[in-house]
Amino acid sequence: MKRSAAEIVTEYGPFEGVEAVHGVTYDGTHVWFASGDKLNGLDPANGRIARSLDVAAHAGTAFDGRHLFQIAEDRIQKIDAATGKVLATIPAPGGGGDSGLAWAEGSLWVGQYRERKIHQIDPDSGKILRTIESKRFVTGVTWVDGELWHGTWEGEDSDIRRIDPDTGKVLEQLDLPAGTMVSGLESDGGDRLFCGGGDSGKVRAVRRPRRG
Amino acid sequence: MESLITAAARALEAGDPLGALNRVALRNDAPSLALRGIAMAQLGDLAKAKTLLRSAARAFGPREAVARARCVVAEAEIALVSRDLSWPAKTLAAARATLASHGDLANAAHAGHIEARRLLLLGRIDEAERTLAAIGASPLPPASLVVRELVVAGIAIRRLKTRDARAALDRAAKAALQARIPALAAEVDSASLVLNTPAARLIARGSEHPLLLGEVERLATSTALVVDTFHHVVRRQGTAVSLGTRPVLFALARLLAQAWPADVSREALISGAFGARHVDESHRARLRVEIGRLRTQLKPLAEISATKQGFELAPRKTRDVIVLARPVEEKHAAVLAILADGEPWSSSALALALGMSARTVQRALEELARASKVQSFGHGRARRWMTPPVPGFPTGLLLPGPLLKA
Repeated sequence: MKRSAAEIVTEYGPFEGVEAVHGVTYDGTHVWFASGDKLNGLDPANGRIARSLDVAAHAGTAFDGRHLFQIAEDRIQKIDAATGKVLATIPAPGGGGDSGLAWAEGSLWVGQYRERKIHQIDPDSGKILRTIESKRFVTGVTWVDGELWHGTWEGEDSDIRRIDPDTGKVLEQLDLPAGTMVSGLESDGGDRLFCGGGDSGKVRAVRRPRRG
Repeated sequence: MESLITAAARALEAGDPLGALNRVALRNDAPSLALRGIAMAQLGDLAKAKTLLRSAARAFGPREAVARARCVVAEAEIALVSRDLSWPAKTLAAARATLASHGDLANAAHAGHIEARRLLLLGRIDEAERTLAAIGASPLPPASLVVRELVVAGIAIRRLKTRDARAALDRAAKAALQARIPALAAEVDSASLVLNTPAARLIARGSEHPLLLGEVERLATSTALVVDTFHHVVRRQGTAVSLGTRPVLFALARLLAQAWPADVSREALISGAFGARHVDESHRARLRVEIGRLRTQLKPLAEISATKQGFELAPRKTRDVIVLARPVEEKHAAVLAILADGEPWSSSALALALGMSARTVQRALEELARASKVQSFGHGRARRWMTPPVPGFPTGLLLPGPLLKA
């Protein structure tokens, strides 16, 4: 396992009226983050919130290319990114104990925080297809280039780790400075990982190490 | 943080404890237990709140030290509001240290304030002041500032420093306005009442009138000989004779001072100080002995001379004698004085605060209850006593915030 200190490239926020960041995703233009009763579209180029949608947003956020997915209470809402309208809802696999959310390969991936699990579910029915065990509380999940990354927060420590999707084995770990929380994780498809900053109300970009 | 926990915590912050309960009512993981505990505390079920917070503290893992410490602080605050003063102070101190070492300074300060309020209630004024000083002047949220200034005012009032007390209460009122918590503003108001309600009676030359706390304070600079029934001392400026352990001598001194410049008959002294109904020769002999003792004690301050029918006081170096008495004197005045804060007290907490035995306090409470001067609710160990209802008295429950994030 490779272990190193996370390199924070950029910090965005805190933003007015945002007490905490509960989930993040990226639609290619905006970094969307959940702040309780809103989804906010942050322009990573200038650090300003360009758009916001009034929708319950208590935990993980994901984007499938057309829709935003957002965990609220014990369900996952499918949202039209253009209008903010909730098109459908499915039950969240953790029954409300859910934390991170990611979209990949036609499935939704949901972190179950205290159970230290990641579920792969059917985005139409919410049916659990398989479950990966992690060793730590899961706060955010993302897939990039076939790599499964997730954020952790336990005690006072957070890190971002790449795990083997079959065995749950930790392959690589980026440690954040003490007291810096990761709540929500999303790749920009390149070498940046966007991380929600929990109570700090910030969004951070962390460099994703290149392999080889 | 998890979805439902976030939703429930947001409901709590928005003042919707039922909304929070709806979301976590059936869950027994640590954050849910803590949320349920706080919701129950906000709904006024302090006993249930205490149990839930205790379970939550146990359920948080060893790595979740901060979350656990916040639960401990919340439980301590509930104990304070329920006047359970025997709650372990060491546990609170440990939680406070944990919060401080993890950079949660606001909640560490909150824990310190709870500690200081407890010490103040127990009458340990110096310790309360030291605890407050140790918190330092780091920037605090307005609600915490209110509590801090209330403790400062409480210390000043007990030390008879009315100007300091008034200044602290003014600062508390300003902070309460900022905090926008009506219960806190009401608490500041009722604390201010203390400064505008008679705190004592002055008895001099056979007549008496009520005194505000500020006037009591000014008496400290008076050149008169003061018989102080609050502290059981006889004093003149810097010279003081404590008769706290000699109740009969103090009673005699007081009778003589109240009558001054007239004398007091032997019969009046005997019935007043010994509680005897029929005066016989043995009482007269005892009076001679006790007056002799009092004479020795008061030597630096006054002489006691015999008159035709009794004794009279002759103060030295002053032409004034006054008695400082409680506004209303009755047998259980000390118990009533503590209950006057309008909060529910357990008899064991009263005993701790008064330095009396639990049995003595129990007897006093039962007597006062028969006279409808106090009332109780609850049973067994949960039984609480208070003076007849003060409408809408604040609980003073702020709870560590934010308890559940992260």
